[in-house]
Amino acid sequence: MPTAADTIAAIASGAGRAGVGVIRVSGPDAPAIAQMITGVSLTTRHAHYLNFKSEQGNAIDIGIALLFAAPHSYTGEHVLELQGHGGPVVMDQLLERVLQCGARAARPGEFTERAFLNDKLDLAQAEAVADLINANTAAASQAAVRSMSGALSLAVNDALEELIALRVWLEAALDFSEEEIDFLAEPQVKQRAAALEQLFTKLIANAQQGQRLRDGLTIVIAGVTNVGKSSLLNALSGADSAIVTDIAGTTRDVLHEHINLDGMPLHIIDTAGLRETTDVVEQQGIQRAQQAANTADHILLLIDATNPQIPDIELPDSIPTTVVLNKIDLQNKVTLPASCPPVDLSLSVKTGEGLDQLKEHLLKVAGRDDSIEGVFLARRRHLQALNVAQEACANALKRLQENNMPELAAEELKMAQQALNEITGQFDADDLLGRIFADFCVGK
Amino acid sequence: MLYPNIYDVIVVGGGHAGTEAALTAARSGANTLLLTHNIETLGQMSCNPAIGGIGKGHLVKEIDALGGVMAKAADQAGIHFRTLNQSKGPAVRATRSQADRTLYRIAIRKALDNQDGLTIFEQAVDDLTIENGRVVGAVTQMGIKFSAPTVVLTVGTFLAGKIHVGEAQSSAGRAGDQPALTLALRLRELPLEIGRLKTGTPPRIDGRTINYDQLQAQPSDTPRPVFSFLGSVADHPEQVQCHITHTNEKTHDIIKGAMHRSPLFSGDIEGVGPRYCPSIEDKVVRFADKSSHQIFIEPEGLNTHEIYPNGISTSLPFDIQVAYVQSIKGFENAHITRPGYAIEYDFFDPKGLRPSLETRAIGGLFFAGQINGTTGYEEAAAQGLIAGLNAARQVKGLEYWTPRRDEAYIGVLIDDLITRGTREPYRMFTSRAEYRLMLREDNADLRLTEKGRELGLVDDERWEAFCKKRDAIATLQSQIKTVWVRLGTDEAKEISDTMGLKLSRERRLSELLKVPEVNLPAALKILAPELTNLDTQVVEQVEIQGKYAGYLDRQQAEIDKSRAQTDTRLPQDLDYTQVRSLSNEIAEKLNAHQPETIGQASRISGVTPAAISILLVHLKKRTLRESA
Repeated sequence: MPTAADTIAAIASGAGRAGVGVIRVSGPDAPAIAQMITGVSLTTRHAHYLNFKSEQGNAIDIGIALLFAAPHSYTGEHVLELQGHGGPVVMDQLLERVLQCGARAARPGEFTERAFLNDKLDLAQAEAVADLINANTAAASQAAVRSMSGALSLAVNDALEELIALRVWLEAALDFSEEEIDFLAEPQVKQRAAALEQLFTKLIANAQQGQRLRDGLTIVIAGVTNVGKSSLLNALSGADSAIVTDIAGTTRDVLHEHINLDGMPLHIIDTAGLRETTDVVEQQGIQRAQQAANTADHILLLIDATNPQIPDIELPDSIPTTVVLNKIDLQNKVTLPASCPPVDLSLSVKTGEGLDQLKEHLLKVAGRDDSIEGVFLARRRHLQALNVAQEACANALKRLQENNMPELAAEELKMAQQALNEITGQFDADDLLGRIFADFCVGK
Repeated sequence: MLYPNIYDVIVVGGGHAGTEAALTAARSGANTLLLTHNIETLGQMSCNPAIGGIGKGHLVKEIDALGGVMAKAADQAGIHFRTLNQSKGPAVRATRSQADRTLYRIAIRKALDNQDGLTIFEQAVDDLTIENGRVVGAVTQMGIKFSAPTVVLTVGTFLAGKIHVGEAQSSAGRAGDQPALTLALRLRELPLEIGRLKTGTPPRIDGRTINYDQLQAQPSDTPRPVFSFLGSVADHPEQVQCHITHTNEKTHDIIKGAMHRSPLFSGDIEGVGPRYCPSIEDKVVRFADKSSHQIFIEPEGLNTHEIYPNGISTSLPFDIQVAYVQSIKGFENAHITRPGYAIEYDFFDPKGLRPSLETRAIGGLFFAGQINGTTGYEEAAAQGLIAGLNAARQVKGLEYWTPRRDEAYIGVLIDDLITRGTREPYRMFTSRAEYRLMLREDNADLRLTEKGRELGLVDDERWEAFCKKRDAIATLQSQIKTVWVRLGTDEAKEISDTMGLKLSRERRLSELLKVPEVNLPAALKILAPELTNLDTQVVEQVEIQGKYAGYLDRQQAEIDKSRAQTDTRLPQDLDYTQVRSLSNEIAEKLNAHQPETIGQASRISGVTPAAISILLVHLKKRTLRESA
């Protein structure tokens, strides 16, 4: 049976939960990665309490590092476990560091797969391995999509299209040199390669910035006036949540709160009451509320049980919405207007009844309950793919500029494509030829 | 009548697949019979007499490295040679030649006549004898029954062919030949999947009616390339020129005006044509913004005036062909010697083949060439070589051999065919090879000759020449590690001046070689004059390996990394619908393909990495259960 030649890494504890987070690394490079991150040569099967260091030598976290030598480990390979203080953001940074040291983000179920293939699980234990791979693959791809904003995934597609277009030019020039389509002679090839490289660089910067999990999911509280939106915001950002910033506008404007729920950052926006009005100042506030609603990741539509009304202003269909009924302490029998969507949760901000359920719900929305492998890892895999693509494009440009071997530039772009295949689906040699034949009149 | 001799291998068909199959089987020690409907057309180039091209030249060199005949014949018959992509890097450089059709046929015939262990017999084959799911022989038109445990079928040149010229249709093989109808009908009864393809040819022109004065001439390249690793320019006959002309708007208007009479557009043609070889009517319609298309005027031989105008294949009616041909510069008075036509023909879905090219449906029956949906002499010959080899090996009870995708274009060709099948006539392109930088024309011998020797395909002459070259390369590679360029010396200054690079520290020549601007022959002249009289192929090889070093190492690492997994064999009795967690769609695909290895399975379209993981887990469970 095959033994794997590369080293994989993943967050082994569930994302967002718990006080201890574990990063597991498996494969031949695990000891070297341990050395890079801890700065010491670890004794196998000994718990070392030390700093986990960034590339610059700063501490990312402090915790316990454990090294197991093959074959005496969970997977049968060299395994490194880094146990840190949990918290998704810290774990994500630590994973990023491990990947930077040469590991590859593990595919769903890959640790168990390796353990099984290396005789570490018996048949009875292993019956479910295949199911696990299957279930997690589906969950992971959904998770990865959720982890990036819609704008970002559109940008990935744009970059992919441009990459394919450039490959079509290069490959056509290589395979059909006798046709009158020698794009290599044209300066645009280099310009386009340079532009593509910049596109990936920007994309990576945006992806780093726009990652929902690190910055927090944007949740907008909407509803008509006096429904209890501000009270809800205060309740959520109460004593058990850490308030990071507190930028207050006027009561007619929007209020922002960065809160941290069980280690999961959330960005909550309280909007002015959404209703038709003639007051100029309030109109502006409502406009801003509408804008906030349009850019939200999730909307909480709050309805007053004592006076059930829904705002006249449009809530975008594309954004998932949770309908929350407030003030159930005052009124427990509610007849909702026909236009009101079904209620998902009922609570009373005043008595605190139902608040825990809402928090649970928000954590779920934020992806805490995603598959074992989690949203962070899926996202890291995507980022890793984007990094490979960016580097390959930079090399391709260099190859085009420096010498007369365009096949090397083509090789680099092919690697960029291979890296992106994981995000965007397969695009193989036959697909490429199809594009060449569709775009150019080649052949005799 | 039952023919008394029993053969090891019967090859049916004497085209490029058949002749290469027969020669290879005989060379591997099998008692081989070649059955052809016409001895005079053995090795006939039935279309344009050109050999090589980008991707195809690579195949020819590989065939040569494995002891095949195509490269030698192309050298003996080539009347025009070029190196395509000369201005680009070595991986995509390719040799292309125009051959004299008669000289080529003579060269092939000579090789066949002089091959020990090979018998030739002229009779069309009408039937195969099949017993208990295995082929045991072939029956000819006259009813002669030949017996052998293996048969290589290479009768694909237009199986059940149907020719279209405008509204007129006729049954035919390649223009002038009879179609293999009886055998085609018989094969349709076998449990094999059949598809239909289409291709076209241009009208041929009498060269004496072309006005060459106004056309751009294209002579052979200097230095003139050679196909065979054992060949030299001295093998080449007299060289001639090709020419180039172009269609114009008048040509396009004539074609547009007659489109309703084209069977391609009227729906008469059902077969799928190649996207890389569109007919002129296709080009005019689909690329309406192009006001001109290029035509290569290629001579068909030294002793014929007929030329092949490459680029204007058509199925338009003859009167339109005359009109559009005569609208082209240089062709104003051209006389068409044979009309152009489109032809539809049968092929067998190559997904029904094993990597050895044996059919999965019938033991001992091998298919090679156009019958498998490929086009081109080179693709045909490559398959012929592998099918002939494996038929002979099967008779001897030896394991089959087919090169992997990282070893040869032949491997890419066969793997593509058996794992993905084809929807159009399949031809080779370098973009099909994921390890393109490794699979070069220049190193085909280094990649394959050692293996060929082991398989018994490489004779002493080739082997000795190969060993000499291989050793010389190794010697030079170690020598340049000891040649230093030291700062401040005259040599360093000369290197800097002539190659335009700045040296910041002393360097070995082997390191310096990686710099794009450094040219090895020139550097040797400056730094090690004692090494300048080496074989140019040896110096070239060291230079290429130096220039590509980083990329080659990376590709090799990638191959080594996945080798253990991709080479893992899949059991042939596996019912994939019983594999836990595999989706129905993927299970059905795998059941239909019955891949032999994990690598093959992974290349079947729609098979995901997760499915491969599931397969690996399943295999492991199977082993555990069996040992329990």
